Amino acid sequence: MSVPFSGALRRSGGIVSAIGKQLKSVNLKGVKRITVQFDPFAENVKSTREFLFLLSTPKVALTNPKCVVKSEIVCNRQPANIKFALIDSAQEKAKVKEIRFNSDNINTLELLQLCNRHVSSLAPPEEITNKVLTKAEKQKLGGGAGGGKKTYKKK
Amino acid sequence: MSLIQKILPLTRGSTPALQFVRFRGKINIQRPKEPHYERARVVAVTQPKYPEPPKARSCFKSRAERTQQQIENPYNEIIAREVRNWLDHSRLVAIFHLNSITADEIFRVRVQLHKQNLHLKSYGRKIIGQAVEGTRYEAILPLFHSNHCIVFSPDHQRIGSLLRITRKVPQMVLLGGIVEETLLSRNELMAYAQMPGLQAVQAQLVQTINQAAGQLVQQLQAHQNSFVQILDVHAKSKGEAKETTPEEKSK
Repeated sequence: MSVPFSGALRRSGGIVSAIGKQLKSVNLKGVKRITVQFDPFAENVKSTREFLFLLSTPKVALTNPKCVVKSEIVCNRQPANIKFALIDSAQEKAKVKEIRFNSDNINTLELLQLCNRHVSSLAPPEEITNKVLTKAEKQKLGGGAGGGKKTYKKK
Repeated sequence: MSLIQKILPLTRGSTPALQFVRFRGKINIQRPKEPHYERARVVAVTQPKYPEPPKARSCFKSRAERTQQQIENPYNEIIAREVRNWLDHSRLVAIFHLNSITADEIFRVRVQLHKQNLHLKSYGRKIIGQAVEGTRYEAILPLFHSNHCIVFSPDHQRIGSLLRITRKVPQMVLLGGIVEETLLSRNELMAYAQMPGLQAVQAQLVQTINQAAGQLVQQLQAHQNSFVQILDVHAKSKGEAKETTPEEKSK
């Protein structure tokens, strides 16, 4: 009588790999402007600053080159927040003009998870343009119309 | 040994001082020969025996605690002293948040800053904490929680060029700074950069002080000055009238 297996086969890599995994699925196509506002002398700004750093990495920036990341430094001890201004199609989808995260008491990992849940899902699907046809596909398309010119002279 | 050396033993030279044992071949350490029993016995007896740490001491420690026995590196102390030195001897210290930037770009920024006598440095948070804890610079510690860099300068008038250079670099975000032993936030630093130099401000002060006395003198002389001005205007108009009438007469 053996107990059926329960648990994970692989050990988790820790918080760093969790952050890396979330970062890979960040998609900023639905955002036109990100404003990160924080007071550097306040407490609990670490996660906001780390999030700002992660957004500025080339891989994330490449998902939408038109998206601008702006940082505002304030000195009035107000809690840190991050605003995502959405593009028109995303605004229709989400029925809001911009999304705001109050990141004072959120961890970096949680911030990324929230971002993926609310922002990356609003990215418009990619349109396929300039698809390069392979020879076989070209033959399939043209073979029906052409009538099959298979015979060729051997010299 | 040649044939002659075998037959006539006197032709044999003495054994040389250096006898070469190995020639070019690789020595064997991976498959050693099994030692003779006597030798093996001696080796077995002379093996070192190390005392095992008592298991009770490490029984309730977690794996992290057992493996994390880091001794404090004395080099950290030296770098902390260097940081303190920089903080004490530079009249302008600016702290930036650093976003993701290539080494090429930051090198270019470092060169541009160096030409203006501004020194770009970056240290770890632990070392800065060690350098600054308990001193009057303790307030800058919360700025170093994330990726950062510091700019030191021995003269405080370089703030203008610093802001000009870093404005072109979007990855460097100014957080705050220390100017003449006063901690300033970002807005205060920008306002400080806009202010005119010390001499201009001193001149303004002198002007303000002299303004009181000057006002008094102006008010005392007010009636006389206005009288003189009216006379001037009157004299000019009369002069013009005299000029026009001789012209008419000559015509």
